[in-house]
Amino acid sequence: MLRWRGEDDGGTRLAASLLFPAAAREEKLMKNTTPGYRRKEIIWSLLFVTPPILGFLIFGLAPLLTSFGLSFMSWDMFTPAKFTGTDNFQYMFADEKFYKSLYNTFYLLLGIPLGMIIALILAIMMNRPLKGISFFRTIYYIPVISPIIAVSLLWQWLLNYDYGIINEFIWNVFGVQGPNWLGDPNWVKPSFILMGLWGGVGGTMVLYLAGLQGIPSSYYEAAQVDGASRWHQFKHITLPLLSPIHFYVVVMGIIGTFQSFSQMYILAADGGPEYSGATIVYYIFQEAFKYFNMGYASAVAWVLGILIFIITLFQFRFSKRWVYQE
Amino acid sequence: MVWKGKWVQLSLTMVLSFMLVLSGCGSSNNTAAPEDPKSDGGTGEPSENAKSQIEFMGWGGDTEKAVFQKLIDSYMKKNPNKKVKYTVVPPAEYYQKLDTLIAANKTPDVFYAGGAHFNKLVSSDVLLNLESQLNSNSDVNPDNVWKQGLDRYRYDGSNVGSGDLFGLPKDVGPWAFAYNKALFDKAGLPYPSAKAGEYTWDDMVADAKAITVVNERGKIDTFGVAGYSTESAVWANGADWLDPATGKITIDTPEFAEAMQFVADLSLVHKVSPSPDDEKAQNAYARFVAGKVAMFPMGPWDQPGFWDLPFEWDIAAWPASPNTGKTATWLGSLGFVVSKKTEYPEDSFALAAYLSLDPESQKENYMLGQAVPNLMDMAKGEFLDMEKAPQTRQVFLDIIEDYGRPPVEVTSKNTKWLDTFWQDASQVWTGKKSAAEFVKEEQPKLQKLYDESNK
Repeated sequence: MLRWRGEDDGGTRLAASLLFPAAAREEKLMKNTTPGYRRKEIIWSLLFVTPPILGFLIFGLAPLLTSFGLSFMSWDMFTPAKFTGTDNFQYMFADEKFYKSLYNTFYLLLGIPLGMIIALILAIMMNRPLKGISFFRTIYYIPVISPIIAVSLLWQWLLNYDYGIINEFIWNVFGVQGPNWLGDPNWVKPSFILMGLWGGVGGTMVLYLAGLQGIPSSYYEAAQVDGASRWHQFKHITLPLLSPIHFYVVVMGIIGTFQSFSQMYILAADGGPEYSGATIVYYIFQEAFKYFNMGYASAVAWVLGILIFIITLFQFRFSKRWVYQE
Repeated sequence: MVWKGKWVQLSLTMVLSFMLVLSGCGSSNNTAAPEDPKSDGGTGEPSENAKSQIEFMGWGGDTEKAVFQKLIDSYMKKNPNKKVKYTVVPPAEYYQKLDTLIAANKTPDVFYAGGAHFNKLVSSDVLLNLESQLNSNSDVNPDNVWKQGLDRYRYDGSNVGSGDLFGLPKDVGPWAFAYNKALFDKAGLPYPSAKAGEYTWDDMVADAKAITVVNERGKIDTFGVAGYSTESAVWANGADWLDPATGKITIDTPEFAEAMQFVADLSLVHKVSPSPDDEKAQNAYARFVAGKVAMFPMGPWDQPGFWDLPFEWDIAAWPASPNTGKTATWLGSLGFVVSKKTEYPEDSFALAAYLSLDPESQKENYMLGQAVPNLMDMAKGEFLDMEKAPQTRQVFLDIIEDYGRPPVEVTSKNTKWLDTFWQDASQVWTGKKSAAEFVKEEQPKLQKLYDESNK
């Protein structure tokens, strides 16, 4: 422990000397206790972390601060930005499309519980010593690694009203005309959810599979001795012990859904019928790169960021009540 | 002493890694840096034959790219000291890319611009005023260029068509009305007239009904008409979206509503045109090409695609409104503009003029079915006599000279209001609302959007 603290100390001092070179020089004269080889190590370690830190400062922090400033300005990229105070925010809260895209985004959250249920069922099925099980696991995981643009184009065909294989299937099995998936304002979002399920369950399934394999079999054995049914075992052992994974999936799912964009860009040209397919990020994109309202787009982006932050914070607060930590 | 040496080493490495990070986004710019014109003559003024390198950016598919590469190569052959670097961007990303380059102060010397975007660029002081060069350049004869094309690139900050020139037309794009001769023959109908005003909405609906075929599953297999231009209907009926002089959105007139309803009813009532659902399943273009649509709009740029069709086709005048006896359609255009910050204003203008007005390049362009020539004598001469379809090429020229109008967006700087109109208009096409109800509700909304960003 002591050794570690010592190392820490050196690091802090070096960081301080970087910030205040004059003070460092003085300190060096007074007491130069850090041995040469240690300094060498510290320098090298700093050299190695410099590129990512610079990368973050230039491509992470700088745009972040710029966009914060821009959110109070009006800027079309050519003419100098003008400070407009809270105009962007006032406009946002009065804009019909902002609420529409926000509603659409929240609607898409329905896909998360659905995906979790399906993924859990799949994981339980895949958690058995079957012949060729790794083949099936791979099959279900393939959509996760497929590029979203290609997948979206594929789904455009699957969901085609007249010729799509999904409506063809509905016609053959149920004898009714399937919905106009991407053309009817009421069906655009369910289409996205459907597509999201197909593309997402594989990843969640793998997480659950890992979780399932981490549950000690002694719990089930003990429950069996006590006469618990399969359902009771599932409800009282499997589900609670998977709670850290539920939590992870929900948090990542919500953040991912709030950021969804690519599918809409491909499948819902110009926001889809009656703007029913536009998500909040799509809205930001349109404002920024179609109408070049950079200031306004930054303002919406900040509202989105704050929204995600609050929701995530909220989830962490409440997680203590239901997430079981071993 | 060792410590000091390390500091040098450390800062050097930091600088190096900093450059490494930056080079990721900067490397492509080095090659684009134009050579210093002053190194050539030493006088400071680039002489006629001074070396220069111009960047030219456009959009387009493979055909357009090949055409322009050819034109540029021949330009460079004629002017060995003038280098042109040609960049092609996919159409969907073009304005994003362009605006980013402008914001980064890396505007190409010559590039495409048109419509609302052109107005915005002039207003933002990005473009070079070409007026004096147009008058002084002896190679250019403005009297032989379509006024309707040239005037599109005059802008005084509020009115298109007046003020100084800021661009040269790349093309004039008359939106014409094509028909499938085979389907008319099959139904035993005479072809629609090529003369404006003779063929009316009623004639068209009657013909379309006769041509439309329903298959055994109850679905329409062959449609009388598809993609009917709402602009054409509205203008023919004496209405318009906007009064540019006052900035008032004028969609809430009875004439506008009637025209819009006419277009909607083609599918809703008469069932002779694909519904939005049908369009989703297979778009009108694909249906026309498959010989399943009798009447369909086309631009000159559609010619190469249509030359390969297994059926005969021609173009006619757009149907006239029975109320006014008049017809109308839009005349698109895209222009070549020059950056105000270019180092070579003369050379940039020369390139734009070559691409826009050189007889050789214009000939190449129309032979490949890309456009109607910008030069009037050529358009009225050899272009009309061309062997290939459409036979009645005169219709293209009629649209340019007579009943073609600038697209609706041309008088705006920001098209959000118009985009919103088209988005919301789906309620009329699907029959959820009547056109009269819709325009009444929509007017205040569009007015607000227009006022926000165009005044």
